[in-house]
This record gives sequence, C-alpha cells and structure tokens, in this order.
Amino acid sequence: MDLDALTRGDGDAWDDAFRWLWPVAYAAAQAKLQPFLPNEVEDVAIQTLEELVEAVRDGKPVEELKPLAATIAHHRAVSLLRERFAKKRGAGKTESPEPVQAETGADYPDPAADSPLAAVERKELAEGLSRTLSELKPPQGAILTDFFLKGLSYEEIAQKHGVAKNSVGVYLKRGLETLRRIWGRRGES
Amino acid sequence: MNDQEFFDLALKVIAQQASEADRAELDTLVARQPELKAEFERLQADTRLAREVLPMVNATEATAPELPAWARGQLQTKVRETFGRQPAPERATESETLGALWKWRWVLGLAAATAVVTLVVLPVFTRSAPPLIQVAMLDTAGATRGSDTNAWSLLRQSWEHATIDSFTDPEALHAWETNWPAPNKRPVVKVVFDPATGEVRLLGRWKGESFGKTLPVEQNLTATLEQAQLFITQRTSR
Repeated sequence: MDLDALTRGDGDAWDDAFRWLWPVAYAAAQAKLQPFLPNEVEDVAIQTLEELVEAVRDGKPVEELKPLAATIAHHRAVSLLRERFAKKRGAGKTESPEPVQAETGADYPDPAADSPLAAVERKELAEGLSRTLSELKPPQGAILTDFFLKGLSYEEIAQKHGVAKNSVGVYLKRGLETLRRIWGRRGES
Repeated sequence: MNDQEFFDLALKVIAQQASEADRAELDTLVARQPELKAEFERLQADTRLAREVLPMVNATEATAPELPAWARGQLQTKVRETFGRQPAPERATESETLGALWKWRWVLGLAAATAVVTLVVLPVFTRSAPPLIQVAMLDTAGATRGSDTNAWSLLRQSWEHATIDSFTDPEALHAWETNWPAPNKRPVVKVVFDPATGEVRLLGRWKGESFGKTLPVEQNLTATLEQAQLFITQRTSR
C-alpha cells in the first residue's frame, strides 16, 4: 500500500485500499449487526471506509488502517444499535425493562447495552486492538475464537489444532490474561 | 484442585458446556472457598470482553466479501472530496482585466436573460423522469425450475416496463452489472436477483453518484421486491 499515493488522492491506489479494507470493515460491522440489523451492514462498512479516507488525510500510517477499520466499524455498529433501540423505546430512553421487537422478529434486550467496549473512545479502541493483534500469539487467538465464539469443546479444539486436550485450557487462560492486561477490567458490569 | 483445574471447570460452566456433575462440583468448591466466587465473576467478565474483542481481531484478517461495484463510485467521490484541490488562479494583467470587465457585462446580461427564461420554462420540464430499470436474474442451475419461473413473473410484475435478463454464468452477470448506459437525465437502476444467495442487489446511478443496497430475501421475494421498489423511489426522487 503506497501511502504517498493515497495522500495524493490517487484513484487507483484508493481502489486497491478499498478492496483491501472492505472485508475488514464488513466483518466488524457484521459481527455486531447481523443478528439485529443485517440490512445495515453494508452501509456501516461504507461509512467506515469514508471515515478512513479522512483518517489517511490526517496522517494515519498504513499499518494502522486495518485495526482502525475494524474499530470504526465496531463503534459505528454499536452507535447504530443504541440509536435504533432508543428510538424503538421512544422518548430517547436507553434503558427499559420492556423487550423490543427486532427486524428479525425476536424479542431481545438492547444488544449494545451489554457491550463492555461501548464506552471506550475510538482512539483507545484502535490502540487496544493493535496491541491485541501483536500480543495474542498463534494459536491463542484461534483457540480463543473457537471456544468463545464458535462454542467448540476442549476436545474439539485439541483435535482441530493438534494440541493436547490439557493444554487447551492453558492457551485459554493465557489468552484471557493477555486480553485483561491490554483492556483492563472492561468486561465487569 | 489447582488453579488451572478450577479455571477449566469455571469456563465450562460459563460457556454452558458443563454437565450437572460439573455444576455441582463448582457449587461445592465455591461454597467451601468463597474467594473463588470473585474469581468466577472475573472469568465471566473476561468472557464478555473476549466475545467483544475477538470479532474485531478476526475482522482484521477477513478477506471476503469483495467490495461491491456500486460502493466504489461512492468511495471514489469521497476521495475526490477529501483530496481534490482547485488550482490557484494566476494573476491577470491590467489590460486583460479591462477586457474581462467588458466580457463580464455580456455574461451578466446573458445570465439575467437566461434566468428569466428558466423561471418561465423550468416548471414545465422539471418533473423528475422515471428511472430506467434493468433487471437480471442469476440462475446457475439453468432456467428450468418452477421457482425461477415464479421469480421471473414476480420481477416482471414489479417492473413491467423493464428489460429482464437471465444469466447462468456469474461472469456474464458481472459484465452486465458493470455495463452502464451513457449518463442521461434520468436515474438508472440495476436490479439483480440471486436465488442461490437469497438476495436482491440494487445498483444505481443518478446525478453523478453511485448507490446501492443488498436486500436479503427473508420472508418471501414479493416482500423484498416491495422493499427494493421503495428504496429505488427514495434514492431516485432526491
């Protein structure tokens, strides 16, 4: 990625950058919005890339663009969820005991209310993500994902990654310690 | 029980992978050593954090989906707005300035006349032209299935004056999607129904801007096509 070409506004360089960054913005937006506002995923991804254009103008280095894309998309998605759910509750309230009706038709509480990173500033979020990417050593990230996001058991993870079943817990423990070291105690309600 | 064994047991309970026996064992442990309750709650907090951070970590490694064609134009517009600069005008000599002054008198006179004509004539012509709609359907299995015939009929009902093309080759469809008529005084919208992915894609161009939307076919195609019509109306009546 040629930062000089990007800062000159070179259309071809930006085409390459958009193709490179689109999957990142899309995936981060999709992770938050897919269960609740799936039709908004593309719009949030587009807005994210538009904001990245301004970030490059303001001097962001190329190596920070992917984490930045992910954090901007995440932030925008959380804001959108809050805004939509506040509207549905009426009068701009953000807390309500009443469940609301999602686009999917299911009853659920505000999905953004439980977000441990919702109050984190975007700059801090991007820095935290960059640190996480550099400090979470393979296969820690993949094992954490398999356990916490995909719901695989210790046995399934051991088989998938070719590690001893007993060591799965060790990877998870060290991975969580890494996240806690970087992000502090954000998950505590 | 050592630290790691407690961690594994607690995590199984938190991830809802524990058996009744596991839960009972954890309850007994916590009852016997109350300080473990705080540790269990900390692991619950760590789990919430991991579920929030990991999708962003994974997103940075994502390589799909591809950037949609319609988004490119919108993003390039943003690039031009952000980085585009007008060249600084050069200084004119005194004689050039005097000449320009006379030219400006003519220009201003013509502009005034044009404004009068515009005010009188414009209302007659400013009714927004209806969009040019082009519809396509991707049918990689060939146009033999009953459901596809039904889809074709629904597309025809929704846009009765539009041309409807059917493609079996995604490459040919891609070529169709990127082949736009010359800019005109009416919006152009391409509607693509892809039964395999269960989505209706909308790509449009109007007033020098590209726009688009992907609508999943969640309940039935008719409802999605109604959403598509609404979206087209909203975007082309601006």
